[in-house]
Amino acid sequence: MSELAKATAAGAVPESMETYSPVREFWRRLKKNKLAMTSLIFLAALTLIAVFAPYIAPYDPTNGVMADSLQKPSAQHLLGTDELGRDILSRIIFGARISLRVGLLAVAIALSIGTVLGSIAGYFGGRIDNLIMRFMDVMLSFPSLLLAIAFMSVLGRGVENAVIAISIVTMPEYARIVRGSVLSVKENEYVQAARAIGNRDGAIILKHILPNVIAPIIVRGTLGISTAILETAALGFLGLGVQPPDAEWGTMLGAGRSYMFNAPHLVMFPGIAITLTVMAFNLLGDGLRDALDPRLRQ
Amino acid sequence: MCRKYKVNCDCAAHFCLSLVDKQGKLGIKRVKRGGENRQIKIFILLFGEDKIMHKKTLFLVLAVAMLALLLAGCGGGGENAQSADTGGKEKVFVFAQGSDPRGLDPAFVDDGESAKVMVNIYDNLVRYKPDSTEIEPALAESWESNEDKTQWTFHLRKGVKFHDGTPFNAEAVKFSIERQLPPNRTDAMPYASFVFEPVKAVEVVDEYTVKIILKEPYAPFLANMAMCMAAPIVSPTAVKKYGDDYISHPVGTGPFKFVKWERGQSIELVANKDYWDGPPKLDKLIFKFVKENSVRASELMTGSIDAMDGVDPNDVKTLEENGVIVTKNPGMNINYLAFFCNKEPFNNPKLRQAVSHAINRDAIVEHLYQGLATKANGPLPSFIPGYDKELKPYEYNPEKAKQLLAEAGYPNGLKVTLLTYTNPRPYNPVGQKLAEAIQNDLKKVGIDVEIRAYPWKEYKQVVSPVIVKEGDMMIYGWIGDNGDPDNFLTLLDSKEIAGSLNSAKYANEKVDKLLVEGRKEFDMAKRAEIYSELQQILVKDAPWVFISHATAMTAQNSSVENFNLHPTGVIYFHKVDKK
Repeated sequence: MSELAKATAAGAVPESMETYSPVREFWRRLKKNKLAMTSLIFLAALTLIAVFAPYIAPYDPTNGVMADSLQKPSAQHLLGTDELGRDILSRIIFGARISLRVGLLAVAIALSIGTVLGSIAGYFGGRIDNLIMRFMDVMLSFPSLLLAIAFMSVLGRGVENAVIAISIVTMPEYARIVRGSVLSVKENEYVQAARAIGNRDGAIILKHILPNVIAPIIVRGTLGISTAILETAALGFLGLGVQPPDAEWGTMLGAGRSYMFNAPHLVMFPGIAITLTVMAFNLLGDGLRDALDPRLRQ
Repeated sequence: MCRKYKVNCDCAAHFCLSLVDKQGKLGIKRVKRGGENRQIKIFILLFGEDKIMHKKTLFLVLAVAMLALLLAGCGGGGENAQSADTGGKEKVFVFAQGSDPRGLDPAFVDDGESAKVMVNIYDNLVRYKPDSTEIEPALAESWESNEDKTQWTFHLRKGVKFHDGTPFNAEAVKFSIERQLPPNRTDAMPYASFVFEPVKAVEVVDEYTVKIILKEPYAPFLANMAMCMAAPIVSPTAVKKYGDDYISHPVGTGPFKFVKWERGQSIELVANKDYWDGPPKLDKLIFKFVKENSVRASELMTGSIDAMDGVDPNDVKTLEENGVIVTKNPGMNINYLAFFCNKEPFNNPKLRQAVSHAINRDAIVEHLYQGLATKANGPLPSFIPGYDKELKPYEYNPEKAKQLLAEAGYPNGLKVTLLTYTNPRPYNPVGQKLAEAIQNDLKKVGIDVEIRAYPWKEYKQVVSPVIVKEGDMMIYGWIGDNGDPDNFLTLLDSKEIAGSLNSAKYANEKVDKLLVEGRKEFDMAKRAEIYSELQQILVKDAPWVFISHATAMTAQNSSVENFNLHPTGVIYFHKVDKK
């Protein structure tokens, strides 16, 4: 018998349990999930690539040399060139900047507004709850891409507007999740206690409720990034998002689709980039959910 | 059940059948047990539980539903069966094009997709020869004009009937033209003013003689009468019968009769066995609408269609490798970039010349269009009469462009907005990518281009006002209608600015004057001199960057015979056959 076991058997609290930290526990559990860790490493690498794109990309992504158009992958152009003679690898590298930026920004905006609305609705309930949530329900009743296209046609084309459109259409999901979590947390004794000693509502939400509903928000946010990236790509594919000559994965896919027969690399590589990134965010999101779920904590 | 009825129907129909066979009783039981059939649940919702309990009602409802489903299933399955059936008694020809026609009334449409269908339903007084834009007799057997070419008398073919049985005569011609003359002409008739602009009146001389009186001599008049827009002769009784709905119920005298039009899907025509020029070889002609070039191409390779137009340059190789015949003809079109000449900054000719020098048209033709286009030297394709062989186009010279840019007052370059359509067009099969290639070229001389792209229908509206607020230049094109040089050059007539035909909003008195002279001159040699001067002015003044003339391409299966794309961009299916 080891010392630790002896101590436990004697009924004493072991040393390690006193320094128990939820963050460390979470990290330990996430590390065990190989898929999630691979995704995390992939995304970290992708972020680095996006940040240092101008130093990594072998060519200028917007400068085409017509004479080199539609070349197959070669040593000179690792992933080939597109119809205007632009290097596809460079375009994918620069495209990562846009996809990641749009994904993160859209989720950040949607998450902040959604959280505020959701916690107000959940905490105060009654008429405010009804007003906010019915409005969210109306928005949820539209297919999100359709709604995004509608917003884009009002706002105009461009990346910034794509971010706004995507954050507006994804916001109701966050609001719902936050409201649901707030509803279950607000009946807890500690919240009632906080109220009883005269804390203001704002302080209760911020200090006592939100920290306890953060787990599902993080998970939903991670998964939301992949949705946002996909929607950016869809908008780009339809020619609404990023405007030429800037590189974006969905736009590349849309532009390359007429060359599917004789130059499949035009659609293949941006397609792979989208798939891998979206998959990585999804797997990471799943891993986070498993790691943060208290019911699975052993 | 499925085998018994030999149709590819929804299973629900068969389930209904089985219920009806058992007189309904079983059906009710099944529903009460929680029912596996959605169809029945809907009936309960519609008619209420107590009513459906009634055996007879149930029987009736189910029978109707069964019939409807059977019909729906047969409709869907039937078409495939027909198009697959090539060796049978009936010769069905399926031709695929990019989109629906806007309509099938020649007075109210202006697009090539409509023209392709209409030329096979209607006839004109005169028609083009099969492979040129020369004129030959059609519904008019002969014609003559008076001394000053202002009165044209047409002697009509006797014994011709419209598809609805209405006899073709001088009254029908008068009706067809007069509905497009003032005061009947409306803004919704895009070609009426172009085709019938010189026409003052139409007189019926006797049943088979009609006289058209012109305001002034007009050289392209006969060519106009052969055009697929506005000029075709329509059945007066059908136009009166259908009214506004005639646009989807066309009745002409042509080799094929209209049967039905399923929007977004197809148009079906059948042979007019009594056609005056001999019955067509095909029994049925189907125009199928498939938006994507590549999808059309793969349908052709799998044999579900017989021929198509709008071949993507990128698909040519694959198609040919798969035994499809791709026909390449010089196209009667021009693909151009128009500067908005009536506002800053491109009201400055120097700047227009600078841009003309900065665009690498050789690379565009060779790489973007993969050689399936020819570089344009001026507004006219080289085979059009009156084309000036001496024209000196702007060569690609970025240095000179920069120099001109500095002379124009923009030594540090400038920022402009280029408008473009997104979809492929016959004269520009790569759609929006042309704008991107130009953006790429102009960046190299310091012109920063922002691209604004619109779908075609929206695009036409955006660029139609006299002052286009959205941009500074635009990508556009023109498909020749009648093979006359005036048809192309009139696009730069200042009178056409209001009607949006003059997309560059270019106004030059000298050009206007020469255009008028050209229209009055009937001697082609003298006309050519006028047009030569005109083309020199236009190239120097550069209201457009003359980019290219797309090679017109059609693709057909090897079993198809006599399938020719006419220079006007349509296919006359009268003589087309398939083995």
